[in-house]
Formats: sequence, structure tokens, C-alpha cells
Amino acid sequence: DSHVQYERIGADVTMKCGSMDWDAAVTWTANGTDIDESHLNGSYLILKNVDLTHSGQYSCYEGSSWHLKYQTYLGVGTPPKEPVLMCRSNNYPKGFYCSWHLPTPTYIPNFFNISVIHGMREMVCEKDIFPKNRCHIRYLQLFSTVKYKVTLTVTNALGKNSTTLTFDEFAIVKPDPPESVVAKPVPNNPRRLEVSWQNPSSWPDPESFPLKFFLRYRPLILDQWQHVELSDGTSHTITDAYAGKEYIIQVAAKDNDIGTWSDWSVAVHATPWTEEPKHLTTEAQVTETTSASTSSFMPPPTTKICDKGAVVGSGAVAVCWTAGLVLAAYGVLFI
Amino acid sequence: MAAADSPAATLRRRDLCSRGIRLAGKMRADVVDLLDTYVERQGLDASASVSAVEGVPVAAVERWDEQTGTQRLLENLAAYRAFRVLLAQMLEEHREQLGEADAALGRALASVLLQVSAFAYHLEELLRLESRGPPSEEGAPAPPAPHLGLFERKLRGLGVLRELAQWAVRSARDLRQLTKPSPGGGSAPSRAESP
Repeated sequence: DSHVQYERIGADVTMKCGSMDWDAAVTWTANGTDIDESHLNGSYLILKNVDLTHSGQYSCYEGSSWHLKYQTYLGVGTPPKEPVLMCRSNNYPKGFYCSWHLPTPTYIPNFFNISVIHGMREMVCEKDIFPKNRCHIRYLQLFSTVKYKVTLTVTNALGKNSTTLTFDEFAIVKPDPPESVVAKPVPNNPRRLEVSWQNPSSWPDPESFPLKFFLRYRPLILDQWQHVELSDGTSHTITDAYAGKEYIIQVAAKDNDIGTWSDWSVAVHATPWTEEPKHLTTEAQVTETTSASTSSFMPPPTTKICDKGAVVGSGAVAVCWTAGLVLAAYGVLFI
Repeated sequence: MAAADSPAATLRRRDLCSRGIRLAGKMRADVVDLLDTYVERQGLDASASVSAVEGVPVAAVERWDEQTGTQRLLENLAAYRAFRVLLAQMLEEHREQLGEADAALGRALASVLLQVSAFAYHLEELLRLESRGPPSEEGAPAPPAPHLGLFERKLRGLGVLRELAQWAVRSARDLRQLTKPSPGGGSAPSRAESP
């Protein structure tokens, strides 16, 4: 017969070799490796001040015959600390889920039991297959002022602990973040960005239970966010973006009437539309060109910008001896 | 039935529902503020548990999504008519108890009472659109205020305001259901409900 025993970290452990007498000649192994006789008191195995490294399979063999007389798995661990429990409704009004974890591992198996009480009624919390530390409850009533009381008890071989959460129906409503956030520049609008998103797919009935949204955005080069709250719709046009600057944008959601804001959505990046830069020649090229033709590239005295006849785009050059001033001005903007 | 289905009636219903939803939202915000004030001024613990109070309409409902439009309207109307009476009683008790000593609380109570009355009127209009008309209030005298000690009255008031806050949320949801085009969200009474 194989046995299992659990002991606390720091405990002294004595293992008997089954029904063998104290003075019987035995050999103990740990995970298949012989244990030195210094750990034996007669046929008893003595492990002092055990730690996690002592966990394993211990076997006791009769001295001469090497018959296996006793076997046990030793698990060294700790009793559970108070578990951390969280309940949330991301699919209101269908129901809510509770999830839990231990703040520190116990290193031995733990068993969790959850009870959900609403008034006088005990409700069933259906355990999820994955993740294992979660279960969900269907609302049987809506709009109740009676609080829910959820108690989670964790038990292992070394002890037990529990925690209780009490909350009302509205307080735990927290949607998942909006999905499919997209931000695009608006053609010919250097200060606009068009942002759109979708309701979280876990929110079952946005028509009856509409969400409102919070959008935040900032240029990458700044730390300060701009915020916009939107009571309906799943799109918004930012109209005060800095020209040419890359932006980071996120959206959060909340039920129109109850609960708390979701976490922020995945961040998206976008840069407002900018006019394509006009390519400029060096002065030497200007001189070469003007020697071949006459006045077609000579700007009128009042013109400070490139000739309208100049071609803008790859491979083309424009002639403009004041272009350097313009370039310098743009350079300041992009610093 | 014909009136309920006409485009004009549909538009009117939608308009009443939209305004009702906004009114319910404002009412809820004001009731939540009033609750904070009430708890503070009455020296109560905000987390105090108040068991179901007799005569206070309970917002909690099972199978809410299966209700017909008419059921929603009737239940809402019954609730707000009851709250109208309860808030009037609270206001009267408040005046007797404190007189002008706490005018702010009195004004807040009066403001919510006005909104409750306005909402009840909205619901009556919606029921009229259903060719059903709202149930009459005549012949149903307001239940007298129970004889309670001062502390019990305070707790009762807390219960009233808490349920009203829940009703305000429920009402907004109910009205949104009424604006949905699906048959389940429609307001037409079922055969079983026809008088």
C-alpha cells in the first residue's frame, strides 16, 4: 500500500516502516536513493526540520530480502493563508463570476469550496473547467437590494482558511474593455484622428444595457492624457491632435447606469494625416538648371515659396532659394 | 390595438420612453445623493441592512427579461404611485420632526417626490397609448403611515430610498425594452391579459 502524508515546513517527521519492529534491519530510500543510516532511529526514519526539498517518495525495504515493506509520499508545505477572492459581472444581466487564488503557495494540494448566499437562498456557483479557480453564478433576480454573500474556504491537509465578500448586484458590474479599437488619420485633416471600437463581446445585450465609453489619448512625446466621455456611439473624432505627432489611444467602457469602468483597451497608435513633403534641390542643382533654361525657374521677387510649376514627389526637384528658410521652420516644429 | 400600432403612436411611445429614460436617470442620481444626505442627517449607518419594509414596492424581479411591455408598465406604475405616497409621508414626518431645521433634506425629498410624480405621469401616458389606460387610483385610499418609533421611521425611510434607487435603474431598463422592436419587448397586451 502506498500512503501520502503532509507535514509543515520546519516540522520533525518520523516514519515507521509499516509493521516492522523498531529493531528490524531496514533500508530507506528517498526518490530511489538510499538514505544514510544517520537519519535512522532503529527502523524509523527521522527527518528533522523538513523543508520543501524533503518532499518525495519514501520507501522502506526489509534489510536482507529487499522486500518493500512500506511506501509513502511526503508532501512538505504550509497551511493556507487567507485566500484572495474577487467577484465581478462582465456579462450583466446574465450573472457574475468569482475567482480566487492564494497569496502564497502551500506546495501541497488545496481544495476550494465556495458558497453564495442571496438573502435566504443559497445559489449554485458552477465551476469553470478552465481556469480552475473560477465559478459563475446566474442571476435569478435583478434589481435586488439584498446583498450577495460569497464565502470561499480553502482546505489542505495542514489547515484551512476562508474569506467572505459581501456586495450588491450593481457594485460588481464591470464590463470587459472595448474591442477592435481602430484609429485612423482623416485625409486632408492634419489635426484629426478617427477612432472606432466595438462593445466587448462578453456584454450580452448592449441594446437594453447600453455602455458608455471613456476615451483617452496623448501624443507619445507627452505624459498628459486627454479624456473624452461618450454617452453613446462607438466612434469619436479627435479634433485637437498635434499635427504630425504619433498618438496613443485607449478606450474604456461602463454600463450607462451602474457599476465601474472597465480596464483600458489595448492601446492603438495613429498619426494624423500630413501633407506629403515637397522635395527640394541644393543650390548647385538650381544653378545648373537655370543655366540650361531661362526664366522658367526664377520665382518672382515677392514669392517666398517654391514655384507652383515645380513637381512635388519622388524624383522631382523644385527650385527655390528660400527653401532653406522653410526647411528650418519645419525643423523647429519636429523637434 | 390600432392606436398602439399606428406610426404616430409608435413615435409617441418612443418619445415618451426616451424622455422617461432620461427622467429615470436624473431621478436615480438625485435619489443616490438624497440617500447620502438622509443617512448623514438621520445618523444612520450607510451599510445598515434593512429588511423588506411593508408597503414599499420591491424592485427585485425574477425572469425580468420575460416580462411583456404591459407588465413592465403596470408594475412600474404601481411602484411609483406607492413611492409617491411614501415620499409624501416621509416629507410630512420630516417636517413634523425637524420643521425648518433641516430645510435642505426637506427640499431634496420634495424634489424627488416631484420627479416620482412626473415619472408616474409618464407611465400613465404610455399605458394610455396601449389603449389600455392606467388603472384607476380612485377608491384605493393611500395606506396610512404605520405607527413607528423614531428610529424605525428612519430605517423605513432608508428602505424606501434604497428601493426607489433600484426602481429608477429598473425603470430605465424597462423603458429601453419597450423601445425594442421585438415582439417580446412590445407593449401590446397578450390575449391572456386582455380584459
